[in-house]
Amino acid sequence: MESLLKDTVKNSRIPARLDFLQSGTGLILGLFMWVHMFLICSVIFGKEMFNLVAGMMEAKFLSSSGHGWPILVVFAVAGVSAVFVVHAALAIRKFPHNWKQYKILRQHVKMMNHKDTNMWFIQFITGFAMFFLGSMHLIIIMTNPEINSIASAGRVNGNVMWPFYALLLICVELHGTIGLYRLCVKWGWFIGKDAKKSRKRLQLLKQALSVFFIVVGFWALTAFYMIGRQI
Amino acid sequence: MEQEGRKLTIQILRFNPQLEGDTPRMVSYEITEAPGMTIFIALNEIREKHDSSVQFDFICRAGICGSCAMIINGTPDLACRTLTSKFKDGQIKLLPLPGFKLIGDLSVDSGTFMRHMNERIEGWIHDIKADEVDFNKLEERMDPDVAEEIYELERCVECGCCISACATKRMKDGFLGAVGFMKLARYALDPRDKRSDSDFYEIVGDDNGVFGCMSLLGCEDYCPKDLPHQTQIAYLRRKMLSVK
Amino acid sequence: MKVIYTDSLVIGGGLAGLRVAIASKKRGFDTIVLSLMPAKRSHSAAAQGGMQASLGASVKGDGDDENVHFEDTIKGSDWGADQDVARMFVNTAPKAIRELSSWGVPWSRVRKGDRQVVINAEKVTITEKDEAHGLITARDFGGTKKWRTCYTSDGTGHTMLYAVDNKAIELDIPVHERKEAIALIHDDGACKGAIVRDLVTGELIAYVSKTTTVATGGYGRIYSVSTNAIICEGIGAAIALETGVAPLGNMEAVQFHPTAIVPVGILTTEGCRGDGGLLLDKDGYRFMPDYEPDKKELASRDVVSRRMTEHMRKGKGSPSRYGDHLWLDIRLLGKEHINKNLREVKEICEYFLGIDPVNELIPVRPTQHYSMGGVRTKSNGESPELRGLFSVGEAACWDMHGFNRLGGNSVAETVVAGMIVGEYVADYCENTSVNIETSVLEKFLKKEEDKITELLERETGENVFELKEAMQETMMTNVGIFRNGDDLQTAVDTLKDLLKRSKNICLKNKIRSSNPELVEAIRVPKMIKLAITVAYGALLRTESRGAHSREDFPERNDKEWLKRTLTYWRNESDDLPEVKYEDLDIMKMEMPPASRGYGVDNTIHHPDTEKRVAEVEEILKANPDADRHEIQNLLMPIEIPEKFRGQNERVGRGFK
Ligand SMILES: Cc1cc2nc3c(=O)[nH]c(=O)nc-3n(C[C@H](O)[C@H](O)[C@H](O)COP(=O)(O)OP(=O)(O)OC[C@H]3O[C@@H](n4cnc5c(N)ncnc54)[C@H](O)[C@@H]3O)c2cc1C
Ligand code: HEM
Ligand code: HEM
Ligand code: SF4
Ligand code: F3S
Ligand code: FES
Repeated sequence: MESLLKDTVKNSRIPARLDFLQSGTGLILGLFMWVHMFLICSVIFGKEMFNLVAGMMEAKFLSSSGHGWPILVVFAVAGVSAVFVVHAALAIRKFPHNWKQYKILRQHVKMMNHKDTNMWFIQFITGFAMFFLGSMHLIIIMTNPEINSIASAGRVNGNVMWPFYALLLICVELHGTIGLYRLCVKWGWFIGKDAKKSRKRLQLLKQALSVFFIVVGFWALTAFYMIGRQI
Repeated sequence: MEQEGRKLTIQILRFNPQLEGDTPRMVSYEITEAPGMTIFIALNEIREKHDSSVQFDFICRAGICGSCAMIINGTPDLACRTLTSKFKDGQIKLLPLPGFKLIGDLSVDSGTFMRHMNERIEGWIHDIKADEVDFNKLEERMDPDVAEEIYELERCVECGCCISACATKRMKDGFLGAVGFMKLARYALDPRDKRSDSDFYEIVGDDNGVFGCMSLLGCEDYCPKDLPHQTQIAYLRRKMLSVK
Repeated sequence: MKVIYTDSLVIGGGLAGLRVAIASKKRGFDTIVLSLMPAKRSHSAAAQGGMQASLGASVKGDGDDENVHFEDTIKGSDWGADQDVARMFVNTAPKAIRELSSWGVPWSRVRKGDRQVVINAEKVTITEKDEAHGLITARDFGGTKKWRTCYTSDGTGHTMLYAVDNKAIELDIPVHERKEAIALIHDDGACKGAIVRDLVTGELIAYVSKTTTVATGGYGRIYSVSTNAIICEGIGAAIALETGVAPLGNMEAVQFHPTAIVPVGILTTEGCRGDGGLLLDKDGYRFMPDYEPDKKELASRDVVSRRMTEHMRKGKGSPSRYGDHLWLDIRLLGKEHINKNLREVKEICEYFLGIDPVNELIPVRPTQHYSMGGVRTKSNGESPELRGLFSVGEAACWDMHGFNRLGGNSVAETVVAGMIVGEYVADYCENTSVNIETSVLEKFLKKEEDKITELLERETGENVFELKEAMQETMMTNVGIFRNGDDLQTAVDTLKDLLKRSKNICLKNKIRSSNPELVEAIRVPKMIKLAITVAYGALLRTESRGAHSREDFPERNDKEWLKRTLTYWRNESDDLPEVKYEDLDIMKMEMPPASRGYGVDNTIHHPDTEKRVAEVEEILKANPDADRHEIQNLLMPIEIPEKFRGQNERVGRGFK
């Protein structure tokens, strides 16, 4: 009966938890992508380097056979996928709910041309794209847990997958760096004394990171591509 | 800086919902710029010399009362303190603030909105003992720094720029909006307000409240009073998260 | 016919109106506030400098109390004030400020220990007392003996208005926004409400009420350049005048503020000078000490404004395309102080002048600022001739300012009057009931309806904007800081002509609903009437008192002119008002007339003055043991609502 008396029903604590979870998953994914990028980039230094790194990930150095356990990759992918799914599910709540809201958003973004709003719009578009691209990539890796330069290069080069990776790369790097920047302003991290100045600095840092990762990413993609051409 | 007697083209969104059959349209007016001319002066000239039906709201014409916010070349600002010389090409496009009920042309009903907002957040000091205070006696003391901090947040003029600048608010009608967060942060800071964090949670602890804010910071960037939205919303978010 | 009934109708959502509404609502009466726009946008929000109340917490306010505040106020008024009212006011002001504090105004507070201030162009260190730490502090303002002006940085009015409006929201008091009262309903010597036009739909509504309180602010906009908001057009006072029954008081008493920026007339607060800012002429010379060696820049406003004008007339003004002006120098206060305590001033300089006052001089000139005159009321706030009509705030002539208001006394008046008059309003609600015949309502409604129809239907005639401009220009050139018979006569003649023309306004935009031109057309004839009461009152008053300064009659003439002007507009067809005078009774004054202490004293005294001075002395002598409260009561017993009779505590001094 109590619930009929509106005032006695307290606001649920769930929205707070969900918001926190969204940021948490975003943070994990964002930082994971840094690591992921550094690992992938080993290909720039040659096939051997990449294989070595990939081997380390499969804990080849532990197995006597020297084959390692690709199953480890499957676990990792499963873990990341779970985070990915949770993050995406939470993020969808922030999307425009219907066509009308989307139209308003478009018109607003166009009229204001405001930096942080534009950035969110990019996050929204790239997030939406990754919904497909990211899932596909994860499924591919999950189903082909064998990671070495040949396999990877084959994936990148074969089936005209190159544009797919290029697109995913741009999406994830823009989305991730903007996301990390947003985390800072959202929770007030690294604000210091002068919030306005710090925000300017964070924006610059965000810009630098986006460029850095995209450049390095394309470099790696090119490397895969070259390797792919050789086989 | 100011070119003597240059021509200004001022485009105004004209629409009077009171008139049956009227439709929104952009109308251009040409006027001659005068030194020190503000949009306030320009609009009055248009009303007096060109078209006496143009609607807009100015009250203090000094950037104090917050009644003249409108979209000036794409972004919300106080028209009365915007000098026309700011626009190098002499083109000025004026739209009413979106997100509010349109009264006519550039005039919107921000008052009703703000009253509802204040009712929603219960924007007043909550203290059940307030009515027993004896005003003949010394007032309750307050730390001078705290008083200053509160004033910083009190400087809001309820102009509505932060509402119009927020894509979240534009998309989601029930969203409280930055001005509400600002006010709430102000009361949360005030030792005279005896509400606890969980009381505040009841007001903003959901997706129409602080957890719906996507940190777009249009509010911060277009607040004509330069209120610290980013810091305060982040503060509220942390505070609300910590409520058990 | 749309009719809305209520107990207490308050026209005006500024500080004064809202405070009355709160009082009547708290006493349990149905209350409605009308406002041209959201209440928080009222011009009260523009008050930057502060509110006077003799709290005496800051060390520079040591020794301050009601008596000192009273003295300053009466002197400031050039003895034109109603001393009963001024007494009620000074006694209640400390309570008002403390009440506002409990409602949320973040008054700037005393910080114990040393701090640097600028006094008379020099940096001085003052030491605030430990025991005052955290109490409400105060700054210096013109015409006051002590630092008494309490403030919140330079957003005093803003924070006060927001606190009071929020209180009104808490109490669930409806504010009907974008509604304009255009006539008062009265019948049988009593006011019964107002005819109100909805500024959006254009609909006319009759608000019927037991009490009607006019709290519509000042009428500065009858001048072309004013520090006032553009809605300060005095319509509240005008509709009271148009009843033909209720008089306006002291309309000729118009204050000019020394430091409004040139050319737009936006105010830079008196706090600039209070905090140590200086006035300079075109040679960068500080001229005020030459004229007023004692108070210098901080003499009373009317005095400073006149001195500035005098100095400019000597050719010492800085020429500009908008005429001569002088300079306000706040550079010496330093960046930190300006950024913190004079931030609005800084913003105004940046946005409207494109200068940074930290390094640059501000061009200023005396500009119309405050209307001491308004709807004449008794000390309970009720019109002496129209029952049920109350008035408070700048719209009223409650008459605590006489012929010159002190800075900081106005926002103080709004809330204090709101508290006191609010109680009387509630009393009146308690003791009466409205009965009004529908036919009477219909008559009033129809009259306004017809006027509007006529306006909309007229095919040729006058342009309302031109009439308004002509009125404003006339007032500016002929009824300014210094006045003389010839100019005033010109003004009256011109205005009479304008009034005639205003009966023939023709509109270009013929829409009945939201139509800015129609709004002007309704207001301008009312404004011209007000302008006439000002100009005509000034013409008749052949003396100089406070802000009313006649070059052809430079002396204050208590003998003939220690009286209040009452203006009536008996018939719609009249082109001049009827003017009567009400004597101020020296024999009842707590503080008999004396010199204000500026320049040479050329007062022509009233025979009663001497008598009263002797009498006062006698009373003092006869009661050597009486404390100041008892003495006050012996000299001038006042009536004040029970609630506000208590004595005020001060730090280090208790209730003494
Ligand atoms: C720039 C400036 C700075 C000032 N600084 C100070 C200062 O530092 N200290 C100080 O003591 N004083 C100061 N004053 C003076 C003081 O601010 C005003 O005298 C005071 O605020 C007036 O308050 P009020 O409530 O009487 O009227 P207002 O605040 O002007 O309110 C008038 C109300 O009436 C309504 N209204 C008007 N006409 C109608 C109508 N026809 N129908 C319905 N509603 C109507 C309006 O909508 C408004 O809500 C300053 C004044 C100015 C211009
Ligand atoms: C299906 C895939 C994804 C979708 C749909 C998606 C969507 C979103 C959206 C809409 C936001 C904004 C949330 C808000 O404004 O409150 C967001 C935030 C974020 N995203 Fe994603 N995202 C996806 C994948 C990723 C990936 C792969 C990363 C890692 C690089 C990532 C990192 C972040 C971060 C760090 C944030 C900020 C978190 C926050 O604001 O709380 N996201 N995401
Ligand atoms: C644990 C989980 C993951 C593993 C094991 C993994 C593994 C790999 C591997 C091996 C490659 C090289 C190309 C290939 O073999 O196909 C690659 C490339 C890439 N991955 Fe992942 N990935 C994972 C998660 C993700 C996620 C969540 C994203 C973003 C949504 C992502 C985005 C990319 C991109 C953009 C590239 C191309 C990089 C470049 O060459 O620039 N990956 N990943
Ligand atoms: S917070 Fe700023 S933008 Fe928003 S209403 Fe207040 S003053 Fe305007
Ligand atoms: S713009 Fe809107 S989304 Fe949040 S940060 Fe400001 S309220
Ligand atoms: S008119 Fe008051 S802020 Fe512009």
